[in-house]
Amino acid sequence: MAAQPKPLPVEGPHYLEGGGILGWLTTVDHKRVAVLYGVTALLLMLVGGTEAMLIRTQLMRPDNHVLTAAWYNQIFTMHGTTMIFLVIMPLETGFFANFLIPLQIGARDVAFPRINALSYWLFLAGAVFMHLGLVTHVLNLGTVPSGLPNAGWFGYANLTESQYSPGLNIDFWDIGLLILGVSSVLAALNFFVTIVNMRAPGMTFMRMPMFMWAILVTTILILLAFPALTVGLIFLFLDRFFGTHFYRVTAGATPILWQHLFWIFGHPEVYIMALPAFGMISEILPVFSRKPLFGYPMMAYSLVLIAFLSYGVWGHHMFATGMGPIADATFAITSMLIAIPTGIKVFSWIATVWGGRLRFTTAMLFALAFIIEFTIGGLSGIMHASAPIDLQQTDSYFVVAHFHYVLGGGVLFAILGAFYYWCPKISGRMLDETLGKWQFWLLVIGFNLTFFPMHWLGTWGMPRRIYTYAPGMGWSTLNFVETIGAYIQAVSFIVFFANILLTLRRGEKAAADPWDGRTLEWSVASPPPAYNFAVLPEGGSRDDFWVQKYGTLAGAHGGGSSAAGATAAAHAAAEAAEHIHMPAPSLYPLLFALGVFLMGVGALAWLRIVILGGMVVALSIIAMAFEYPAHGEEAAESEPVFYRGVDNRKAGMWAFLGSECVFFTALISTYMVYKSRNLAGPDAQILNIPLTSFSTFILLMSSLLMVLALAAFRRGDDKWGRIWLLGTAGFGCIFLGGQVYEFTDFYLQGLYMQTNIFGQTFYTLVGTHGFHVFIGVCWLVTLAIAGFLGKIDSKRSLAVEIAGLYWHFVDVVWIVIFTLVYLMRTVKHA
Amino acid sequence: MSANIAQSAALEHEHPGVSIYVTVAVFLILLTGMELTVFYVQFLQPVLVPLLIILAIAKFSLVAMFYMHLHYDSKVFTTFFIFPLMLAVTLAISLLLLFEYLLHHLSFAL
Ligand code: HEM
Ligand SMILES: [Cu+2]
Repeated sequence: MAAQPKPLPVEGPHYLEGGGILGWLTTVDHKRVAVLYGVTALLLMLVGGTEAMLIRTQLMRPDNHVLTAAWYNQIFTMHGTTMIFLVIMPLETGFFANFLIPLQIGARDVAFPRINALSYWLFLAGAVFMHLGLVTHVLNLGTVPSGLPNAGWFGYANLTESQYSPGLNIDFWDIGLLILGVSSVLAALNFFVTIVNMRAPGMTFMRMPMFMWAILVTTILILLAFPALTVGLIFLFLDRFFGTHFYRVTAGATPILWQHLFWIFGHPEVYIMALPAFGMISEILPVFSRKPLFGYPMMAYSLVLIAFLSYGVWGHHMFATGMGPIADATFAITSMLIAIPTGIKVFSWIATVWGGRLRFTTAMLFALAFIIEFTIGGLSGIMHASAPIDLQQTDSYFVVAHFHYVLGGGVLFAILGAFYYWCPKISGRMLDETLGKWQFWLLVIGFNLTFFPMHWLGTWGMPRRIYTYAPGMGWSTLNFVETIGAYIQAVSFIVFFANILLTLRRGEKAAADPWDGRTLEWSVASPPPAYNFAVLPEGGSRDDFWVQKYGTLAGAHGGGSSAAGATAAAHAAAEAAEHIHMPAPSLYPLLFALGVFLMGVGALAWLRIVILGGMVVALSIIAMAFEYPAHGEEAAESEPVFYRGVDNRKAGMWAFLGSECVFFTALISTYMVYKSRNLAGPDAQILNIPLTSFSTFILLMSSLLMVLALAAFRRGDDKWGRIWLLGTAGFGCIFLGGQVYEFTDFYLQGLYMQTNIFGQTFYTLVGTHGFHVFIGVCWLVTLAIAGFLGKIDSKRSLAVEIAGLYWHFVDVVWIVIFTLVYLMRTVKHA
Repeated sequence: MSANIAQSAALEHEHPGVSIYVTVAVFLILLTGMELTVFYVQFLQPVLVPLLIILAIAKFSLVAMFYMHLHYDSKVFTTFFIFPLMLAVTLAISLLLLFEYLLHHLSFAL
């Protein structure tokens, strides 16, 4: 390692130092936010792991009664929900991606630092909210029975309807997931814009580290998959709180709708968990093989292809619902197609390692084990991608084996490898390798002992989600073995947590580049300074840091020519550090999340708390909006805030609108599907075309006023800018007035939300659109006020442009609604 | 610093003038008028759905291209929007197909 350049000296403290408690509560530094995510998710991993132990202890012997059936339901539901939403996702995106994106692409922070903090606090709020049922249960609060959620991690309707689940359990799940969904979408938006727009000048897409590719694709999946879940959860919320019938057969609806919405989200979700793991492996293997990643372009394209295909396979979770031969065959074929890009990846990883000079560090062991365990899971996946085979395997322990191999032996192994690999960078200390190897071997043995026999148990007919079984089924021995395996895994995790605690106390100090790394994060000190890079890197080649060190991508034969360069850079660093402005801390993200949490609690307890929470949210938004220009302006003068020619905020808005497309599509499709299944009462014939034609006219004209406002601000005509803005808002109000009139009219004619499935889908769709208009009006009025305060001039017209994008989007959604809902009111769709 | 200025110049995409905005508005009103015509005129009923869809796409595109500036702005944004839009449309069509089958299936069984 003679060629190693010296790490840049750190001027002043690193990111973990200083600030005190308040510093952590108000932090917007991506590295600190990442640490918050990491610590929280690790604690939740303990919770989820304990739940797993309870499940396995209960199943250890036939006719066991460690847990009652009711408790068993709560424990397995929370085990799945916790591991997926509160452990794996936050560790991959919230922790590792958050920490590494700016460091790997050569930026100082993510695109929207405060939204990053907001994502974390919302995540925390959602996680706590999910578990509130335990508190109310233990303290016996309230008049309605409660407890932890208990309908499985996919919460199938109509088990989740109040008729069958009268307690608050499902409400905690429903609202908790809604909060977590908002958190995930905000984080995804943020990371997406950061990777697309803030890469170092020389870092083209094809030069990005593979982990960045994986995260980029993952964020797209999150943006375009979560809305379907959100819509499903909103329907469930309405059913449970307002007595609608979105999933009730008696009203002509069908619980299958939930399955579609859930799995349109759910299958992309498994890749939301898998792709970041693929990315981590693709970083670890080359470093410990001392070879570049094999087949980089194919690795990148296959990620994209997997993501694309993953939207077309959701039906493989629903073979048992009887979708019919055509649908079954289609979903079976698309599912099997996914094996192709996945196979490409597996072979490329093997080729990466092949012939390399391997170093069997703990991280490397986990990465290698990942390839094997994940492939086992992939193979069983291809088996039940075949519809007739799936009818045997579905809801049996075979499926449990499948997803534990892909998620445990696959994703979790990758995450653990990532801990060993990146911990030095994050904490400044090395995790202990001896303990690491103990952990690894214990886990490999325990894991396979637990999950491999499930293939047999499933094939022999043991259903999943049963709380106990009779002695004579022939399942007893393997279940016993599995539980022993689970205990071995528990020991391995105790070793892991001990390792982390010991490391933090007195672990060996980490050098900047302890593994002879290839990517830019290893070029800064461990832990990095708050501003990451004293001098922003160029990022001109793939494996940029390696090329800086050795001159070529392939081998370590080059001379250490860059050492001198590093010294020069260090000088520049010392000078530059004084001019770097990092975004100021902010308390509002925390307040915002608190408000959301209050709204959730209020929904279950006391309406007034909802209003209080809503006010806290509104105030934090306004405060954040007016906090921004002050330091945004400063940053603009001293730092390039963008590298790629488009503005971060505009890119963020467009990505958000993309996500909204899926959201409205789910609503509109539901309307069309349900419209012709209406059983009784008023139907689409009730719709008032003259009135809504007028509303349509108003909304279209408001869009005209909106662009006129923008044009005015851009030519510096503030007065007319404000007038047009207020005019737009005014037209928006007229539109809303028309809607209020329309709804009242329908009420008087006896059409309520609860009347029939036409009423519920109509009010939900059109009401949601109306709500968007309402938000738009508030936004425009705020902007107009900012205009009066002199805060908007031609240089800041972007604020108007972005609000305009939102406004026009609401307008185009209306164009679609007007056509499909109103003008096609007589058309039968299904 | 000069690099910054160059970049912010690249940011300034060209915007359409007021006259284009107004022209687009006129077209939007005309198209809406046509939609209503299609809706009310009896002999157009058999082709109601395709006509209405074409008209809606026209209105949608006008707003997206001129009011949301996709026509003038970086192609990146068009990509950001078109891809989700296509996905959404595909999902909607698939759902309609799936449920139609479901409905026939059920009524057949009943
Ligand atoms: C070759 C690729 C894959 C195929 C063909 C495949 C296929 C399937 C099928 C058909 C099912 C439904 C089984 C049933 O309920 O009857 C399933 C379930 C599942 N798969 Fe996969 N899978 C693949 C990869 C993955 C990956 C990469 C992950 C996650 C990292 C994953 C996670 C899951 C989960 C969590 C479930 C169970 C959901 C539940 O019922 O709770 N799968 N898979
Ligand atoms: Cu799936």
